[in-house]
Amino acid sequence: MRKLSMALLLIMCVIVSACGGGNNASSTNGGPSESGAPAGTPAASDSSTTEPVKNEKLIVYTNANSDGRGEWLIEKAKGAGFDIEIVGAGGADLTNRLIAEKNNPIADVVYGLNNMLYENLKKEDVLAKFVPSWAGDVEQGLNDPEGYYHGLVKQAILLGYNPNEFTADTAPKDWTDLYKNNAYKGKYEAPTLLGQNTPRLVVAGILTRFQDPNGDLGISDEGWNEIQQLYDNGVGAVEGEDFYANLASGKTPLGALVSGTLQQKEEQYNVKAGIVSPEIGVPMVVEHAAIINGTKKQATAERFVEWLGSSEVQGDFAAEFNAMPANTKAVEQANESVKELYNSLKPQDFDWAFIADNMDLWAEKIELEIMP
Amino acid sequence: MITFQNVDIKFGEFHAVKNLNLHIREGEFFTFLGPSGCGKTTTLRSLVGFIMPTSGQILLKDADITRLPIEKREIGMVFQSYALFPTMNVYENIAFGLRVKKFSKAEVDQKVKDIARKVDLKDEQLFKKVSELSGGQQQRVAIARALVLQPSILVLDEPLSNLDAKLRVQLRNELKQLQKKFGITTIYVTHDQEEALTLSDRIGVFNHGVLEQVGTPLEVYNQSQTEFVCNFIGDINRIDPGMIENSPLKDVVQPGNIAYIRNEKVSLLPLQGIDTVQLKGKIADREFYGLYSKYVLEIKGGGQLKTIEKESRLFHHEVGDDVDIYLPVCDILQYPMKEGGA
Amino acid sequence: MKTRNLSTRLASINPVSILLYGLIVWFVIAFLIYPNLNIYGEIFFKDGQFTLEAAEKLLSSERAMRSLYNSFILAFSLIITVNVVGITLVLISEYFEIKGAKILRLGYFTTLIYSGVVLVSGYKFVYGEEGFMTKLLVYLFPSFDATWFHGYWAVLFVMTFACTSNHFLFLSNAIRKIDFQTVEAARNMGASTWYILRRVVLPVLKPTIYALTILTFLTGLAATSAPLILGGKEFQTITPMILTFSRSMTSRDLAALLALILGVATLVLLTIMIRFERKGNFMSVSKVKSELVKQKIRSKFGNIAAHILAYGLFVLYIVPVVLIIIFSFTDAASISTATLNLNSFTLNNYIQVFSSMSAFKPYLVSILYAAAASVIVVALALAASRILHRYKNKWALALEYAMLIPWILPSTLIAVGLIVTFNTPKLIIGNTVLVGTVWMLLIAYVIIHIPFTLRMVKASFFSLDSNLEDAARNLGAKPFYTFRKVLLPIILPSTLAVLALNFNGILADYDVTVFLYHPVYQPLGVVIKNSTDAQALADTKALTLVYSVILMIMSSVTLYFVYGRNSRS
Repeated sequence: MRKLSMALLLIMCVIVSACGGGNNASSTNGGPSESGAPAGTPAASDSSTTEPVKNEKLIVYTNANSDGRGEWLIEKAKGAGFDIEIVGAGGADLTNRLIAEKNNPIADVVYGLNNMLYENLKKEDVLAKFVPSWAGDVEQGLNDPEGYYHGLVKQAILLGYNPNEFTADTAPKDWTDLYKNNAYKGKYEAPTLLGQNTPRLVVAGILTRFQDPNGDLGISDEGWNEIQQLYDNGVGAVEGEDFYANLASGKTPLGALVSGTLQQKEEQYNVKAGIVSPEIGVPMVVEHAAIINGTKKQATAERFVEWLGSSEVQGDFAAEFNAMPANTKAVEQANESVKELYNSLKPQDFDWAFIADNMDLWAEKIELEIMP
Repeated sequence: MITFQNVDIKFGEFHAVKNLNLHIREGEFFTFLGPSGCGKTTTLRSLVGFIMPTSGQILLKDADITRLPIEKREIGMVFQSYALFPTMNVYENIAFGLRVKKFSKAEVDQKVKDIARKVDLKDEQLFKKVSELSGGQQQRVAIARALVLQPSILVLDEPLSNLDAKLRVQLRNELKQLQKKFGITTIYVTHDQEEALTLSDRIGVFNHGVLEQVGTPLEVYNQSQTEFVCNFIGDINRIDPGMIENSPLKDVVQPGNIAYIRNEKVSLLPLQGIDTVQLKGKIADREFYGLYSKYVLEIKGGGQLKTIEKESRLFHHEVGDDVDIYLPVCDILQYPMKEGGA
Repeated sequence: MKTRNLSTRLASINPVSILLYGLIVWFVIAFLIYPNLNIYGEIFFKDGQFTLEAAEKLLSSERAMRSLYNSFILAFSLIITVNVVGITLVLISEYFEIKGAKILRLGYFTTLIYSGVVLVSGYKFVYGEEGFMTKLLVYLFPSFDATWFHGYWAVLFVMTFACTSNHFLFLSNAIRKIDFQTVEAARNMGASTWYILRRVVLPVLKPTIYALTILTFLTGLAATSAPLILGGKEFQTITPMILTFSRSMTSRDLAALLALILGVATLVLLTIMIRFERKGNFMSVSKVKSELVKQKIRSKFGNIAAHILAYGLFVLYIVPVVLIIIFSFTDAASISTATLNLNSFTLNNYIQVFSSMSAFKPYLVSILYAAAASVIVVALALAASRILHRYKNKWALALEYAMLIPWILPSTLIAVGLIVTFNTPKLIIGNTVLVGTVWMLLIAYVIIHIPFTLRMVKASFFSLDSNLEDAARNLGAKPFYTFRKVLLPIILPSTLAVLALNFNGILADYDVTVFLYHPVYQPLGVVIKNSTDAQALADTKALTLVYSVILMIMSSVTLYFVYGRNSRS
């Protein structure tokens, strides 16, 4: 009985302190941000240039910290004198979060998201413009031309096939073959889980071929018709299933793969997927780095981004995690098989701003009108 | 001890208690009697403090307690369902009030054991769950729980109402004994006239929110002041207006009045020393109960009366016998006829 | 007259209660009404103009309409099937004399410790294409279609068995409170086992069954994992669509509108149920209750049939859990083909999960959040129930409906509402910014769990004998003391059950958490999702199962503390 009364008392305390705590938070968070946002940023960078290097703890958001990548970076950054806290979540969730927090930003740096998401962030004024010195070393056409985000790692969205069911000759030559050729009908996974990035990029890769300013959502009727066929003839993806497992078992031997995960999946399922390289190119996603607008640690954040994108760090990272660096100077440190893969691939030409503007609406239209 | 002054209680449109004036004396066993919905429980709850009167005052030992919080009134209550706390054992139930009042552990123990002994609860029963007790034991716990705080008043809200008849009589006797033992002012609410008559020093009869009569059981029974009271208590004959018309009764009953007489007052034997009205009739029906018989009498000139007579060697009638019937004038109860007739 | 009445009434309420009521009113306005109305405003009044665009879009989408229809079909089907199975389970474990009831109960308890994707994949291990049951059927009937387990019946099957947790918790409690004398009386009058059940026992359980029916309906409407995984093309439901839409800025209006439809449907059902409830509320009238004695089934055939049913259900319940535990020690290839091979057994998955020291922090964070939130929710619900119990006026009614608001919004939109509302200083919360503080997530957990908690706590509150409260007050106890010492202990068992359910639910939540968690304090759900994300490189399949097993263990421990000890005494 006494315990219960204690518990109730405790609750009261929590409720009361919830308001109290909030007040404190305002005095620490709200205070600087009120005066800080417009005038504070230059002031902060001024002061840090006059003072000796001072590395405040940085909050870094990323969707690319799993499988030890985050831990690796924290260690590496510590070696370089940076104290970072990594916050990991899915790309779309992180984007929503950053937009939500834009009046009271918590993060200082965000890396790992793709162009589409960075475009969204840019539109919402979440990013601060900053061009690092390594921006010039990044492969042509990958960086944001306006200078808000700059490339770190390349990821290709690939059309893979089970080598036991198809050979390089019998496999499709392009995504469009999947629904145009009867041989593949019912044998590929349709990109139904539009909450995730990979299916979205597959869709974008097809739709952008039919850009039409007069069409619905910027896409011609023909384009919508093709997408309709893509969904009609494929097998819907199932939440919680690993597509690679279905590719390996032959349940759906054709579908989208992400280049960075290939090697691991091959080992896990003992099947080495065949890769299609369409003439038009493959959706090439680049993981970028950017600084958050309104950070109170602008100077540290800038130095961190400078360090993060440098060819040494990216080269080491590529070697460790089978990644393909966007920084041309780091490419040589990448693993041979990765280099080989990318040599065979051509990036599809994407208008990222256009895609970012429309992707949500496309997804909505597909969910409502196209999916079976 | 307790005084209700012009107490009115309304629930929205419903007038539950109408202009109640009542004085209850120290040490007496007072019963609120009436059918359900008559306002007796409402009155009780206003005394205990669950209900605030709409107007009027309630005085306890000359102090106005009308707006005093429940917990400060020091009135012990026994509920209809006993309301024993199911999560506590007997001991904890009795100790509850003492612990609220922050008595020391030793005092609590002392007082709980004292009161338990007085209500005949055995020590080993103290640590039983209340659900393991019999009905009688539950009542004793409920009373002990109310008395342990030494209240100046004990109130009981139909405590015997949903028990079987035998247990009811047994507990009624126990209750009376306990009240005598403690000598505490007791207010008892019931709809059972037998309970009221056997237990009470005085009875207050409620009807539709009005206190119709206050008096000793004898007064209430023999000299019912209203038609409702005489009907509610005991078995009674309503004397047919036709019968009055055609008999000497018309000299006794005021015109425009309605007359009643209790069954047992109707006599088949002449009565000495009191004024009686004599009628002639015939035995229409007879039920033999051993100790006594119940008769239905067909009155010459119309109408029926019921009566009850002790059986004896000297007195015995069979159906069909012609009989003389004697009605004591002092036992004929008269009430003005209500408008619209009764 | 009236003013005096009011002033005296106010005077009789002590300052603590006034403070408490004030707090509740403040909480309701600040966190239930304000942010949720705000998000609806943002959604439906784009640029200050009301728009029906969302409704048009939905009406013209065949898929949306079909999914919505399916959701309702599922919800109504589940009301029937879950009640049948749930009541059967409770009768087996509490009412009839079945040998080994204790072990059976453990089996039936399993739905309480896992849910969602994991649960469905557990069933897939048995009935899926590669499942054991399917393999057996194919072996027996070579022409049997291995892909049989999908569509409406598959979804209904899995959900029927998965959604009996609430029945098991609350109905068991209710059946134990039955006055056994009524059963004996009925038997004495020659009623058969079945007749007694139908006419004496079940009617007493009605209020609880009504409450559970609403919860089942809600669960059916909100079904996500089972239709996604098992529904196939022909039976998709609406909630996955709501989830997808609520995550995308441009489609939030659709999500909100769909959620509103489901919410209104729920409220309609709730209102109907409340009306039913009023009609038939049974209070035990006997003064001397006796405890329920398990009933032996008199007919020999019936007895055998009941035992077969009991153990059949047991197997049905226990096998998926066992398989999940076994497969958590294997690798992705074994899991996806549902084959067990001694060579593929490994402890590596577990070693990987617990290898780094930082691996323990998320558990602590989640446990603290879950504990704090579930305690606060229960406290709020208790206070609110008490108000609803004591005052039956329009303000109390308003309070009740305000506290049901979270049912008409999907949890993700509640999170978004909180963000949109509290990312600038707001007067109502003392001019502070809540976004980015540790409180945000706590508040969201509390909000989301209020309706369910209130529903259950209120039900037990209203079954209390009001004389108990009067008796305590008559003995000098102040209202708060009465509440603490008399009323709370009586409703504690069911309250604790709700607490445990909330706790377990919050423990691994991802959908809401991901929007609101404080970066420095990552809860378990986020960590799990990150390390088992499709993009992750590790053996995500196996890791998912490992985390599931860990969560099962945590949930079981919670339930043991709340329930195991309780039922022993």
